[in-house]
Amino acid sequence: MDLTVEDLARMIDHTRLKPETKRGKIKQLCEEAITYGFVTVCINPVHVAYASELLKDTDVKVCSVIGFPLGASLSTIKAAEAREAVKSGAQEVDMVVNIGALRDEDYDLVRSDIAAVVEASGNAHVKVILETGLLTDDQKRQGCLLSKEAGAHFVKTSTGFGPMGATPYDVRLMRETVGSEMGVKAAGGIRSFKDAIKMIEAGANRLGTSSGIAIVEDFRWAQYSDTWMQPDKPCWDCPSRQANLAKQPKEVYVWYKQRCLVCPDRHLNVFND
Amino acid sequence: MSESPQPYSEAKILRVSLTDNNIVEQPLEKDLVSEYLGGRGLGVKMLFDGLAPNTDPLSPENILIFAVGPLTATTVPTAGRFVVITKSPLTGTIFDSHAGGYFGAQLRRAGYAAVVFEGSSPFPVYLWINDERFELRDASRVWGKDVVETTNLLLEDTDAKAQVACIGPAGENRVKIAAIMTDKHRAAGRGGVGAVMGSKNLKAVVVKGSGKVAVADSERLNEAVKRARLLIKKNSVTDKSLPIYGTAVLVNVTNEFGMLPTHNFQEGTFNDAVGVSGEKLLERLSVRTYNCYGCPIGCGRISRARGEEVGGPEYETIWAFGPQCGINDLEWIATINHQCNLMGIDTISAGSTIGCAMELVQRGNLDAPLHFGETEGLIELIHDIAHARGLGAELGEGSRVLASDYGAPELAMHVKGLEMPAYDPRGAQGHALGYATSNRGGCHLRSYLIGPEILGTPVRVDRDRPEGKADLVVLYQNLSAAMDSLVVCRFTNFAWTVDDYAEMLAAGSGLPVTGRDILTIGERIWNLERLFNNREGLTTDDDQLPPRFFTPLPEGNSRNRVVHLDQMLTEYYRLRGWDADGRPTKDRLKNLNIPV
Repeated sequence: MDLTVEDLARMIDHTRLKPETKRGKIKQLCEEAITYGFVTVCINPVHVAYASELLKDTDVKVCSVIGFPLGASLSTIKAAEAREAVKSGAQEVDMVVNIGALRDEDYDLVRSDIAAVVEASGNAHVKVILETGLLTDDQKRQGCLLSKEAGAHFVKTSTGFGPMGATPYDVRLMRETVGSEMGVKAAGGIRSFKDAIKMIEAGANRLGTSSGIAIVEDFRWAQYSDTWMQPDKPCWDCPSRQANLAKQPKEVYVWYKQRCLVCPDRHLNVFND
Repeated sequence: MSESPQPYSEAKILRVSLTDNNIVEQPLEKDLVSEYLGGRGLGVKMLFDGLAPNTDPLSPENILIFAVGPLTATTVPTAGRFVVITKSPLTGTIFDSHAGGYFGAQLRRAGYAAVVFEGSSPFPVYLWINDERFELRDASRVWGKDVVETTNLLLEDTDAKAQVACIGPAGENRVKIAAIMTDKHRAAGRGGVGAVMGSKNLKAVVVKGSGKVAVADSERLNEAVKRARLLIKKNSVTDKSLPIYGTAVLVNVTNEFGMLPTHNFQEGTFNDAVGVSGEKLLERLSVRTYNCYGCPIGCGRISRARGEEVGGPEYETIWAFGPQCGINDLEWIATINHQCNLMGIDTISAGSTIGCAMELVQRGNLDAPLHFGETEGLIELIHDIAHARGLGAELGEGSRVLASDYGAPELAMHVKGLEMPAYDPRGAQGHALGYATSNRGGCHLRSYLIGPEILGTPVRVDRDRPEGKADLVVLYQNLSAAMDSLVVCRFTNFAWTVDDYAEMLAAGSGLPVTGRDILTIGERIWNLERLFNNREGLTTDDDQLPPRFFTPLPEGNSRNRVVHLDQMLTEYYRLRGWDADGRPTKDRLKNLNIPV
């Protein structure tokens, strides 16, 4: 892949969403985003006004999460939250889909929930977080299609607070579903440049990570050896390996694990390494 | 050093002839700096050129070099270390051994790039360097004293603000696993460098340097250092794990991977690992942490054991006297570590050799009161090793000699005579290749592939896969040779890339180097070391691992694995540009500007 350090940085939402985040960390996050040329800082709405002030007259945008991390707020509340965030300076919003409605196949509600945020966000780009770890493949596809219909600009894999992070498998599925005119953001558990490149190769054009600096800095190792990018054991990247009964609905967990039974690499699935 | 700041290019080499008490200053050759930097590279070049083949390492003819690097005592993080280069009495190879603390920075601030000791003094001496003044002084008063007492007495004799690097009784008695100690409990531990010092009747080097060092481009260096410090801050290993737990953080990690060598590498999992872990050290014994010169990481720690404040213990030491010997008493481990420090003994080789002896007893080859899991008598045994008494004298020869003497050479867990450290190579193929091909023997630091294979830094690679590992080993060996020639701490490698070292070197020294350039310098050093070892008679047969590593571990998370060494070695020699006999080819040497 012909990718420069700068190209990689321009795909990263430099993220800090922990509840304990203090203003000092937001300031640091913004300074780092300027230094490294990240595309946005991705933060909670309470920090948007402060970050916008710090980042005015720079190329770094502010991205606010909405209905985060559960996606279970009322549509009116999500819309109001998005409106306020944009008013405070957010140029992108990452909303969490109504996950329960998606699983209930209440598609009108899912669509209208997204549309309300899209409308409230005005010119700001909207990314819809599906929280893939709570969904089966069909539900992920449906979530992508509904996001597209509702006028969102991106679909996004995960919050980073759910049962799974991003996997190349899910990114590929989402890219195949939305096509090339919509963005796909991989987020959750992306910690190394190898993780990042695998997501990009799978179809992501935006990465959400709190390890942006390490990813960009360490990417300079890539020029010194091809071994870094050797294929991993197939299970390492598979969402089924990450499935966790304690964190997922029973039927979703079982659905993931049943995939292992028909996986062409199942002979390699002996030890969890 | 004069009042005005001194650039590295103007640093001096102090050449000390111990036989006739003659000390001269020499300039540092420019070409040497551009081709070998300093520290390890400089020492390797001087040793290669100055030492006749097959010199007895404990004879007056051996050369002992203390060196610092082009970034020492600058603002570059961790650049206060020093390195000792000599021919090892334990391995017979070229050898470099490193220590942190503050000694290196003071040596550089006194105006020196290196101190070269030749010959042997007719009576015990120490070298006192007080800025531009230097003299050999009678060390009779401290001969026979332990490391702490020696340090205290020498500081009384010289200057309380000076730094001491000294040997304990083990070095005096030419024990082949003797260390050189600084800051009372930091060690240039490996390879018996302390024995070489003892063989020269050199008890200590004491240095006080108050000068300033100049850098080529201070603005550029400030920027590079600012960045380097940020990277350390952003890395979870250097910002969290090491400062909080010290190196002992690795106990639980390696155990989880089934790679914590237990009972002399018979197993890879220790049932009581939690009891000797970094977490337990923090909860039970930790008193405070401390930083070496210019270090923002601060992995050093002081513990309280049996009512006494002691240094460490480090991961390798915990392993060597813990799982390796089947012992789960952390406080006792801290105590025996302290005793090794006082005596000036390498804890890795000592613990590993005791573990080897325990297996010799287990298998009926040796009749001695040494049993896995039992601590009784071991502290006394450390003193016997230091004084080369009884069984201690046999253990002080290292595990290779011990196991061979008792008819079971396969039970010595060594490479080239150097005891292997605390990672079972069956659990990480690349790390295994690094052990086998290390120029100084069983060493984890020449190519620390535990980073990518186990810790996932900078990225996680499949630890079981032999393919591609030779490429990474070559990269890490070349980089480590360059880092050791800048003389910065290995832990920076978790946070910095090749390019960061190059940028700081360029800014600090004015050398127009890139990342590729410093890898070439590292490769040059590596090849020269290899030539040295070839000259001493080492061959591909020495790039081997003990037979144990070609049989699977019985249990744990590295079970059923063996090392695929032959496959990786072939590729390694090819990438190195060496012939099938493991010798650098003329073409490769010519490319590296090494005279054939």
